Amino acid sequence: MMDVGRHPRIKLLTYSEIEEISGYIGNFRIKIRRKARYVDENECTACDECVEVCPVIVPKEHQMGLASRKAIYIPFPQAVPSAHLIDIEACLGFDPIACSKCAEKCDKNCINYDDKDKIIEFDVGSIIVATGMDVYDPTEFDEYGYTRFENVLTSMEFEILTGPGGVTKGELIRPTDRKVPKSIGFIQCVGSRCEKRGNPYCSNVCCMNTIKDTLLLKEYYHDIECKVFYVDIRASGKGFEDFYRRSKGLGVKYIRGIPGDIREDPKTKNLILTVENTSKGSIEEHELEMIVLSVGLVPRYDSDVIQKLLTLSTTSDGFLMEVHPKLTPIDAPTSGVFFAGCCEAPKDIKDSVTQASGAAARALTILSQDKVKIEAVTSIIDEDKCTSCGICADVCPYGAIIVDKKAKIPAKVIEAACKGCGTCAAECKFDAIRMRHFSDEQIMAQLEAILEENPEEKIVVFACNWCSYPGADLVGISRMQYPVSPRIVRTMCSGRVDEKFILHAFELGAPIVLVTGCHPVDCHYIDAQQWAQRRVERLWDKLERKGIRPERLQLEWISASEVGKFVKTMEELEEMRKKVTREEIEETKRILSKIKK
Amino acid sequence: MGSETRIGVFICECGSNIAGTVNCMELMEYAKSLPDVVCVVVNRYTCAEPGQQEIRRYVCEQDLNRVVVAACTPKMHEPTFRKCVSDAGLNPYLMEMANIREHCSWVHHFDKAKATQKAKELVKSAVARARLLEPQKELEVPVTQAALVIGGGIAGIQASLDLANAGYPVWLVEKAPSIGGIMSQLNKTYPTMD
Amino acid sequence: MIEEADFKCLRCGHEFKAPYEKGKIEERFCPKCRSNSVRHIKKKL
Ligand code: SF4
Ligand code: SF4
Ligand code: SF4
Ligand SMILES: [Zn+2]
Repeated sequence: MMDVGRHPRIKLLTYSEIEEISGYIGNFRIKIRRKARYVDENECTACDECVEVCPVIVPKEHQMGLASRKAIYIPFPQAVPSAHLIDIEACLGFDPIACSKCAEKCDKNCINYDDKDKIIEFDVGSIIVATGMDVYDPTEFDEYGYTRFENVLTSMEFEILTGPGGVTKGELIRPTDRKVPKSIGFIQCVGSRCEKRGNPYCSNVCCMNTIKDTLLLKEYYHDIECKVFYVDIRASGKGFEDFYRRSKGLGVKYIRGIPGDIREDPKTKNLILTVENTSKGSIEEHELEMIVLSVGLVPRYDSDVIQKLLTLSTTSDGFLMEVHPKLTPIDAPTSGVFFAGCCEAPKDIKDSVTQASGAAARALTILSQDKVKIEAVTSIIDEDKCTSCGICADVCPYGAIIVDKKAKIPAKVIEAACKGCGTCAAECKFDAIRMRHFSDEQIMAQLEAILEENPEEKIVVFACNWCSYPGADLVGISRMQYPVSPRIVRTMCSGRVDEKFILHAFELGAPIVLVTGCHPVDCHYIDAQQWAQRRVERLWDKLERKGIRPERLQLEWISASEVGKFVKTMEELEEMRKKVTREEIEETKRILSKIKK
Repeated sequence: MGSETRIGVFICECGSNIAGTVNCMELMEYAKSLPDVVCVVVNRYTCAEPGQQEIRRYVCEQDLNRVVVAACTPKMHEPTFRKCVSDAGLNPYLMEMANIREHCSWVHHFDKAKATQKAKELVKSAVARARLLEPQKELEVPVTQAALVIGGGIAGIQASLDLANAGYPVWLVEKAPSIGGIMSQLNKTYPTMD
Repeated sequence: MIEEADFKCLRCGHEFKAPYEKGKIEERFCPKCRSNSVRHIKKKL
């Protein structure tokens, strides 16, 4: 930690939040809000004299009310930067007449009650997301009495209580009588591996964490009785099985079974836990002085912020989704962005550090180059066809098109700003926009090839490159099966799916057409997806007016991880397809070819 | 190179991942009948070096100006095969993939006949598209040689140090007043117990 | 203006009422089958 603070090439911005990220691989522009600390972080020597004079006492964060701090404070002794800050909500100094004790005391004049948030902007070529995770809150497991019994703690609270920054300075005490407990129980998998409550996944670290805790307890307090209640112990890392064995060797009892409930003895405040010991097949009661709930890890409460800023998506468990689980496990779907640590999935320290070094190496593959190439999927304007109507400029999520409507100057594309979603091309009523590598002709030719023979047996699926197409890939990777009728046509964004394509598919005899893409929150082109929805809604009306059943055009937002939804959709559409008769298809063809003429 | 379109189709068996479900020989015969296709090759693993070598060889020998790779998802190997054809002197945008693995053999495992039929159509569609592909020039942009690391926990710290030690400026942004994240609150940590 | 409007699911046929704001686009799904193929039924004049 200290190394980071001192490193000449690391600019550390703590107490700061990201407000905006724009640009693309090699060229991101970042806007940061640096919150006011009210203490000059460079001048402050953390001498603590200000703290002594501050009259305001508030409970300290993460200490379960067992500790307090002042309005001016340092988060923990080894904090980096090693500087104080003022909790302005609690501070009285906003009104200097009321209090300005700390400012008077500080010889170095570091304290400034008028400090303001600062906006900092800079450019980078690559981004590493290392936003971490949160710890599961076990309140919903009411049978364990977490909110009712003081001597029931989470593993995180136990850690802090016994940790270096804790109130007890490493001494283990139980909250009710502040004495060293004679017995302690650990309950595993609280909030993990459960379909009904908490999370269905395994949180990866809790088994080892408990084993570690038991070893430490046995080391410091030989006589303490430790019992671990578990479903199965997952100790699959290097050397981990040894730890488990050592813990058992020291007399820690491992009891297979997850406790049903916990009662508290009102007098002793001891806890009585009931469990079905599944190895013995018996119901047992255990009286313990303290119980630790080994809680799982969950996605960070604010991870949607970063997700939006960088147009990332999450897997069904809420952690950030990588490009490929096996081959590119560090890369984010947005080029130039990489993952490190628990933001991607729960992992322990060793795995977090390993992935972080991997992410750094991935980032270096970009930074070590002078130039990067950007995919040549961009829009081109046909100036002869353009009427300067301005629609393309209105729909482009990146403001990459400039049109002067008044002067009737044709549209112009700023190539470096265009990301190639193709929404402009789909919306232009005059066919004046051509998408490189995803041209109208290319897509129409694909449709013609697919529907040349037995079109009535097929479902045409337009799937976007970022969510639904890779979603269909994941269905394959998971070896899930679905009917054979869908034919997937890839576009970069659902916003690219031109009305023309859909009508052409129907004219060629397609019984069902599906437009599928990212959910609005996942859209890789800010909000280009909305134009697909608007277009489909418009088309439903249009089809109905023409005498074509609107049901034959379907819409579904399927993310890259929603394999179940993909399969369900395909199955439902197959049922719908079977109900579209040849007569209906012929009638549609007639209607549509008449309109053309 | 003349103006006629000359397409080579490279069908991948992917071991048994594709060939176990899709009849690749039948697919090959079918692909030969498609317009502008001048050669069709079946490989055991097209992405492996021998497979790529075949592509490069055929591009030169057969004077191919379009390549269709019928294999896995482009999300995985499009960059591989783009690079492969460009090594053979072709513009990378003249390569098209037909996804006959994730979108076909793996999801229609129990109906080999229908899966083969579907694979044919996916190849047909890819060939139809390939005929209309055009060479594209990629825009080259300069790289800002600095990195942003979001989050100052153990992972963010490690990544920042690695990048900075490699010689690049790093902006490390942390929401809390100090870096350290969850780890700084932990007591001793496994496996080293320090 | 937010008003109550009629919607029809084009997947399962379920008809239902939901708040609707003209011009605003949002992710809609059928309360019965969860499909996004939900059509806003305009009142016939
Ligand atoms: S939408 Fe089409 S016609 Fe209108 S300004 Fe853009 S390119 Fe020109
Ligand atoms: S709408 Fe999409 S394709 Fe068109 S200019 Fe903007 S980013 Fe490019
Ligand atoms: S190219 Fe794709 S399908 Fe072929 S061997 Fe490689 S991974 Fe398998
Ligand atoms: Zn429905």
